[in-house]
Amino acid sequence: MPVPTAGPRSEGHRPHNTLTFNRAGWQEGGRLLARAPVRCYRGRARAWHPLRPETVAIRTPLSSRVRRAFLPGLLLLAAGCGRAPAGGPAVVTLPISTLGAEGQVLRGQLARFAVLRPDIRVEQRATPDAADQRHQLYVQWLNAGASDPDILQLDVVWTPEFAAAGWILDLDRFRPATDSFFPATIAANRWDGRLYALPWFVDVGMLYWRTDLVPHAPTSIAELEAEAARAMRERGLPYGLVWQGARYEGLVTVFNEYLGGFGGRMLDRGRVLVDSPQAVAALTAMRDEIYRERIVPPNALTWHEEEARFAFQNGETVFMRNWPYAYALMQDSAASRVAGRYAVATMPAAPGGRPTATLGGAQLAINANSDHPDAAWAVIEYLTRPAQMLERARVVGQFPTRPALYADPALARALTIPPAQAREVIEHAVPRPVTPVYTELSEILQIDLHRALTRQQEPAAALAHAAREMQALLDRVGLGEDDDVAGR
Amino acid sequence: MTTLPVGEREASAEAREARLAWRLVAPALTAILLVALFPLGWTVWESLYHHDLRMPWLGRPFVGAANYVEALSDPRFWGAMAHTLFFAAVTVSLELVLGCVLALAMNRAFRGRALVRAAVLVPWAIPTVVSALLWRFMFEGQAGIANALLTATGLTGPPPVWFIDATLAWVPVVLADVWKTTPFVALLLLAGLQNIDASIYEAARIDGASAWRQFRHITLPLLQPAILVALIFRTLDAFRVFDLIYVMTGGGPGTSTEPIALYTFTSLLQNLRFGYGSALSVIVFLVTFGLALGYIRFLGGGLAEERA
Repeated sequence: MPVPTAGPRSEGHRPHNTLTFNRAGWQEGGRLLARAPVRCYRGRARAWHPLRPETVAIRTPLSSRVRRAFLPGLLLLAAGCGRAPAGGPAVVTLPISTLGAEGQVLRGQLARFAVLRPDIRVEQRATPDAADQRHQLYVQWLNAGASDPDILQLDVVWTPEFAAAGWILDLDRFRPATDSFFPATIAANRWDGRLYALPWFVDVGMLYWRTDLVPHAPTSIAELEAEAARAMRERGLPYGLVWQGARYEGLVTVFNEYLGGFGGRMLDRGRVLVDSPQAVAALTAMRDEIYRERIVPPNALTWHEEEARFAFQNGETVFMRNWPYAYALMQDSAASRVAGRYAVATMPAAPGGRPTATLGGAQLAINANSDHPDAAWAVIEYLTRPAQMLERARVVGQFPTRPALYADPALARALTIPPAQAREVIEHAVPRPVTPVYTELSEILQIDLHRALTRQQEPAAALAHAAREMQALLDRVGLGEDDDVAGR
Repeated sequence: MTTLPVGEREASAEAREARLAWRLVAPALTAILLVALFPLGWTVWESLYHHDLRMPWLGRPFVGAANYVEALSDPRFWGAMAHTLFFAAVTVSLELVLGCVLALAMNRAFRGRALVRAAVLVPWAIPTVVSALLWRFMFEGQAGIANALLTATGLTGPPPVWFIDATLAWVPVVLADVWKTTPFVALLLLAGLQNIDASIYEAARIDGASAWRQFRHITLPLLQPAILVALIFRTLDAFRVFDLIYVMTGGGPGTSTEPIALYTFTSLLQNLRFGYGSALSVIVFLVTFGLALGYIRFLGGGLAEERA
């Protein structure tokens, strides 16, 4: 680090002649001339960059008044505006949600990181919280070849898309300790055998069940349906089970769990499998729960996560399929009638299938055009450390991606949800198809699933149509079964 | 300097004037070129390429009319077209009839007429997204007021779930649009009504024409220009319907209420398929342009003849 402030006032030194540039700004003999951050406009990203701290000793005949007025400006030019400083702090930009507790946690963590690594400066970019808006923004930035932001927070289904497009760096060069993360979270972030993003926190679809209405978590779909019907009959509940049935990504995550429960898969390499007998059975089961079993309300076909949560926390249903975020919210007895009377489990399976939880969550990746990939990696490495994950768990209830933490008593104190229950569900987590065109495949599937569930089409016909369209898309973009594409 | 013959001098004066005219309209023409024709041309150009932002490894090859062929052989495109035409036909005719009734009522002299005219405009003044949400809440699930009213009348068994039925989902959508835009049509027609000379009615009354005959043979023909304006505005608006349906049904259930504008939006801005989305935009442009031309020829032509 450069020498701070002025030298000793002795030996004929004229202390006011020494100008210093440090964290606080430009200083002269301890007096602040210009406040930090002193920045200049440069770089490939055409953005404001801070100047590196350095001491510049100025000996000049100019009167101190004139000097004070002009020198900072002159020095800005002298300090190398127009090209990157060689040894200064690497500036790394990170898009973050600025809202609520999540933004606060991150800001706190970045402040600690700044103390640890003064050679790296992390700048935060406010980005929209809605996933599809953020996705659009990223795609536009990355298409334009922007080097900013350096770090990207990705939804789990975006990693293959961005990797295949060449927009994010493969992280294997940094030798991440992948075996200390849940295998499913690592698998979802691999493309063409290489790792492109590091799991930050994990989200899983889980079955919420009322401990006061059913003796134990259902072990099969049939048991779930029977218990739901029994509780509706005996306790007069309006619904037995609620899930997200509106035509959006949430519907596909629910279907993915039924599909796994019936032993099916969406995709095998380049081959679409959503028209398999298992898939038809899964979709038929979902439809029958609405119109035959009558345990799922038809209204659920317009519901997202929050509508389902409202129904569950008002005590209107026995079971709910939802994400972990609902757990902590429903423990608040002021808003929730079921506080302390529910637990979570994995969605059960039918004979021949395995209980499945759809994997969600956030990952951190590095922009392929980043000017400072090593600094970006240092930030990612820091943010995914166990201590930071524990803090996120405590403040915003997000699940760590490191299995070892689930044995840590600190996590039990941090999470409202019992870590053992959470871990049990995460172990059943299955990624959605790992393919660069996932979002488009999902859009096709959403429409046909919704058509079948709203009885415009039979499940088999709807899924056959979806499979045809999905396969046609894969073939068209060269990711189909018979294609040998460099990206796979 | 030699003097020019009179004819040539006039010609050069005319040319000078023409040049001046061009110079005077140049800024306006440039503005139109920049904000209307340039983007349009760009979209047409883009529609000839395969350009998918999310699949940069496919490049941006020139594909000619392939995007148009894909659109025209896509059942979802034809579905969206059909939904759009259906929506336009139903809403515009309802709005025209109701707007006409409202305009006739407001044209009468009665106490508080100014107040009524202002009040009628309230739905029109509410942003579409807000009124769409309003109507969605009214038709939502068990809690919606529509179902509460239906249950109260006892006419139906269990109340319907509007938004999951491919046919019923249109009811709230059409109602919301009619509620919102009828005042606009009414106001346009009211302006037309006030242009009709009262003495014509007086003459008709003296000749013993009934109210219906007066309406049929005086009001309607003389209202034609106003009707034309209302029709053009409303049809083109209805054809580009987006926000209302985006908020109310999202195009669902399935895609059974998806209009062409929403499909274009999804392709272009959500799936970032620039080539295909541009082709869809060009098709929408051509259809609306054709509609406008048709109206002007069909209704405006008759008008011109009468005037002549």
